[in-house]
Amino acid sequence: MATAQRFLIVDDFSTMRRIVRNLLKESGYADADEAEDGVAALAKLRNGRFDFVVTDINMPNMNGFELLAAIKGDEKLKHLPVLMVTAEARKEDIVTAAQGGAAGYIVKPFTKAILEDKVGNILKKMGLQE
Amino acid sequence: MTALHPDLIAQAVESGAAGGGSAPVDVHTKIGQLTRQLHDSLNALGYAEQLRSSVGEIPDAKSRLTYIARLTGEAAEKVLNRVDQAKAQHDYIASETRRMVGDLVKDPVAAVAKGTIMNFLEDVERSTQEADVHLTEIMMAQDFHDLTGQVIAKVVGLAATIEAQLVELLIQTAPPGSATPQTAAAAAAAAAAAVAATAIAETPALASTPTPRLQGPVVDPENAVDVVTSQSEVDDLLASLGF
Repeated sequence: MATAQRFLIVDDFSTMRRIVRNLLKESGYADADEAEDGVAALAKLRNGRFDFVVTDINMPNMNGFELLAAIKGDEKLKHLPVLMVTAEARKEDIVTAAQGGAAGYIVKPFTKAILEDKVGNILKKMGLQE
Repeated sequence: MTALHPDLIAQAVESGAAGGGSAPVDVHTKIGQLTRQLHDSLNALGYAEQLRSSVGEIPDAKSRLTYIARLTGEAAEKVLNRVDQAKAQHDYIASETRRMVGDLVKDPVAAVAKGTIMNFLEDVERSTQEADVHLTEIMMAQDFHDLTGQVIAKVVGLAATIEAQLVELLIQTAPPGSATPQTAAAAAAAAAAAVAATAIAETPALASTPTPRLQGPVVDPENAVDVVTSQSEVDDLLASLGF
């Protein structure tokens, strides 16, 4: 289902950013931009309009947990849903993400169906998609 | 500073060379003494514990390299299988297209009336949908680059640590007043650092010191504690937290 949501994909590996971007496009979410770490992501979020953040955790400069905390601590950004897509599979990390306000958590490697399902559910919960 | 002195080595060799029949025993004894001195020196310098710690990580590095081999192998296999399937479909469509052209040239009215053209068009539509699935799977197979990159970063980090410890050990145990080994060690360290810097600059996961708390991909899920091994376990955990 095509929507007008604008996504920001944050990952230090360009390969993974392309994969996520293509999967979102195939799922009907064609409007997306990319950032290679938390610092670049925050700069883009503060200077542009975005509706959804998909982020890795293990990144240089500012990792995904730090980015999540920065987003949730920013009055203008805290409404944004943040979906963590990461290789970090420790329960402790999942709990940390949930308590930090993440909207979802996907462990790599994942499938198109999983990404589509999580993004769709988050948008539905937010009333941004039927 | 405790250091191995080259005189001890020279004495061991000389007494071995001049000792006639008892030489092997003497050399053996001297080597034993040297080994003991090396052991004591390592302990005194504090390197024994560091090296022991690094050596303890080698099995983990082996697991990580095995994980890389497995993931890259699976990715290659997946891509080749999908390419095989896509090529078979491509060959089928190419062959059917040639047959359709023949039918149309021979009797266009019959080709349409018998439904041959419609069947062909439906085949093409189905094939393009299936080809799209193959292409998506080929794209997904490339995720090994991210996962193995993170693991390689950890192995490179371990190798760099061991190298640094060994170079430091070489410098510390060089004979007093002898500049050559230290210079050589320093040169070796500089060369290694240059190679590492090049590799790091080309690999995002290596370009920064990873946050120690983060573990990266689980390379050995059967022996890992407190990790999830599937997305359904993630969902269950989140559900238990009220998400």
